[in-house]
Amino acid sequence: MNQVKLLFFATLRDRAGTKSMELDIPSDLTVQGLKDKISNEYPNLKESMSSVLITINREYAFDDAVIPLNAELAMFPPVSGG
Amino acid sequence: MEFPTIFSITEDEIDLNDLLARITLTSTGAAAIFAGMVRGQTTRDDAHETEFLEYEAYVPMAEAKMKQVSEEIRAKWPVVEGIAIVQRIGKLYPKTPTVLIACTAAHRDTGVFEAARYGIDRLKEIVPIWKKEVSPTGEFWVEGDYIPKAGE
Repeated sequence: MNQVKLLFFATLRDRAGTKSMELDIPSDLTVQGLKDKISNEYPNLKESMSSVLITINREYAFDDAVIPLNAELAMFPPVSGG
Repeated sequence: MEFPTIFSITEDEIDLNDLLARITLTSTGAAAIFAGMVRGQTTRDDAHETEFLEYEAYVPMAEAKMKQVSEEIRAKWPVVEGIAIVQRIGKLYPKTPTVLIACTAAHRDTGVFEAARYGIDRLKEIVPIWKKEVSPTGEFWVEGDYIPKAGE
């Protein structure tokens, strides 16, 4: 198993009700697999998974990327700074 | 010579004079500065009033992406001398400056205006910062529409 940290920002944080959580995930889990897992386990977040941005160790990551060991992950909507 | 590059996320007031001094070299003759502020009254598109905006950032990633934007500016406009990219976060009221992008160069006709424009456009695409809009009628998170590509 792989223990990772998952951070939430903006709408995702509001829906998750928390800023971050620790997760144990299979060592071959991909970003798409993570979205599926979150959709199943956190119904409040299911609707967000189609448009969410995901980062691995502070870089944008895409569906087929495999999550590395002890990664810092984050989920958030498209950015709106400025 | 090393050109100065400043990038930061801050809860403090943005000090334009200080930033400008730090990106001005003896060879500098021009600065292009973009500042964004909280708009209290919006008339374009969906007209509405804003009481305040509440900004948040994924700070370590945001600062890394600001650094990336500054590197992109330097690759496109090697004549740019100093670069400052600063985003203020927290609860900010109308007329308050929220973001500042400044680029300096020897002369104004070097692309320095375009460099600053590129900086604010890229910040709004890839730097992880969000704002919640609070108005007399309710509040909502503003969401962008840019989906970063691999390697961004």
